[in-house]
Amino acid sequence: ATLCFQAFLQMCNLPIRVVCRANAEYMSPSGKLPFIHVGNQVVSELGPIVQFVKAKGHSLSDGLDEVQKAEMKAYMELVNNMLLTAELYLQWCDDVTVEEITHPRYGSPYPWPLNRILSYQKQWEVRRKMKAIGWAGKTLEQVLEDVDQCCQALSQRLGTQPYFFNKQPTELDALVFGHLFTILTTQLITDELSEKVKNYSNLTAFCRRIEQQYFEGHDKDSSTSGATRSAKRSLLR
Amino acid sequence: MAAPMELRCWGGDWGLPSLHPESLTVMAYAKFSGAPLTVNTINNFWRAPKGDVPVLVSEDIVISQPAKILNFLRKQKYNADYELSAKQGADTLAYIALLEEKLLPALLHTFWVEAENYCSVTKPWFASRVAFPLSVYLPGKMSREALNRILLTRGGPPLYSLTEVEAQIYRDAKECLNLLSKRLGTSQFFFGHTPTTLDAFVFGFLAPIYKVCFPRVQLQEHLKQLPNLCRFCDDILTCYFRLTVSGHSPAGQDTADANLQKLTQLVNKESNLIEKMDDNLRKSPQHPPRKLTTLKLAAGGEGGSPLNRLSP
Repeated sequence: ATLCFQAFLQMCNLPIRVVCRANAEYMSPSGKLPFIHVGNQVVSELGPIVQFVKAKGHSLSDGLDEVQKAEMKAYMELVNNMLLTAELYLQWCDDVTVEEITHPRYGSPYPWPLNRILSYQKQWEVRRKMKAIGWAGKTLEQVLEDVDQCCQALSQRLGTQPYFFNKQPTELDALVFGHLFTILTTQLITDELSEKVKNYSNLTAFCRRIEQQYFEGHDKDSSTSGATRSAKRSLLR
Repeated sequence: MAAPMELRCWGGDWGLPSLHPESLTVMAYAKFSGAPLTVNTINNFWRAPKGDVPVLVSEDIVISQPAKILNFLRKQKYNADYELSAKQGADTLAYIALLEEKLLPALLHTFWVEAENYCSVTKPWFASRVAFPLSVYLPGKMSREALNRILLTRGGPPLYSLTEVEAQIYRDAKECLNLLSKRLGTSQFFFGHTPTTLDAFVFGFLAPIYKVCFPRVQLQEHLKQLPNLCRFCDDILTCYFRLTVSGHSPAGQDTADANLQKLTQLVNKESNLIEKMDDNLRKSPQHPPRKLTTLKLAAGGEGGSPLNRLSP
């Protein structure tokens, strides 16, 4: 999720500095990460941040007509609905991953027994949510199939264009990049999830292109992006 | 293809074949694709497996969620989407996600959580369709599940109270309706002249909002201001369900409220422009753009929460 923001802000040509804190979730006004701190204002979550940036006069989707804006919103919901939920499922509901990766990672800033308590609490919360939306009954294969379907849809929508809405990047591009890049680069027990994404060559090319264009251009960013990537994992819920 | 298929689902009223959005979606898809389904409405709930509705039974196969049922029908060669391009198929998935994320919470709220609606309409109706003692237990359970779902998916901070969550979900739902209306435009269906999966889902979600007569109807009022969506629902009902569309103007509805809503939409649009100009002038905004506090409505029973603009 952090990466979506960085991509979005880079696309708007707004310079940012990434800082990692263990209590970031508590500093955020909505309890969700990431958030930005500008002057004396703190704004969190993609929707409000996009609004905030728009109010300051930077917007990526002004060139779209109404139908395209509707499409963009629909695709953003698709990404949130499928990819985000699948990521949460994999992190918190797949027992193997939970034991070996998520618990240690989530609890790492805290001493025992706080680390175990907090991660169990988070796990319980996520499982409740999965149950409410009907994902609790899904097996890992079904979740992977859903991810595949979502990637297929994104791949078909992207086609051979450089961005989802042809020449200019929009919030959708930032969001998709953030999620796909995370999936491709995060080490998990199995590579099935990233394999699903790699099946679609235009999506991997898309990620690489955005990474090159917006993240590797700056020397400062490339040295912090390594640190960011590893520290970002402790922020990822 | 040859095996007979039976769909068990909730029945209908107010001119609809079913009140339940998911049941309606499956029925509509079956009509669009020409699948020969025998529809059995529930009058003895104990027979439904695990309580999941709608349920498709074909020989010894039992399938229970709309997406899975539609997949099964497609495999049986009842496919309403074969004329769609790959991109249109992708759009279908995206719009369905939009419906589930933005419209469904408000739909659930209108039916199951809004106290007046639930007590006077939803609970008696569903209770009358099942046998005692399930009629005592089931509506309450569905209501709790709906509230749970709304709170878990939309209820985190900074929304701390149920009223704030409610305001947010209705805002989102109205925005979703606007987006759907823009996408539909003047076409008969979402992808041209033949209805597809997306039309089935949209119909399934919109028709209950459109037709059921509730005491608290803010979503219905908003929908009625989008004539192309109303026409879409009516067309499907007359063409595919051969039900006469009895023009239900909600009895005792305050037309002043409807006019106020229309005016609010216009004013909100203007406020967008004004705010943009303001920001440029002032150069130091105080808050992220959510404060349209100048727009306090007197619309009945809204609790004075400002109806924020419909497009961000």
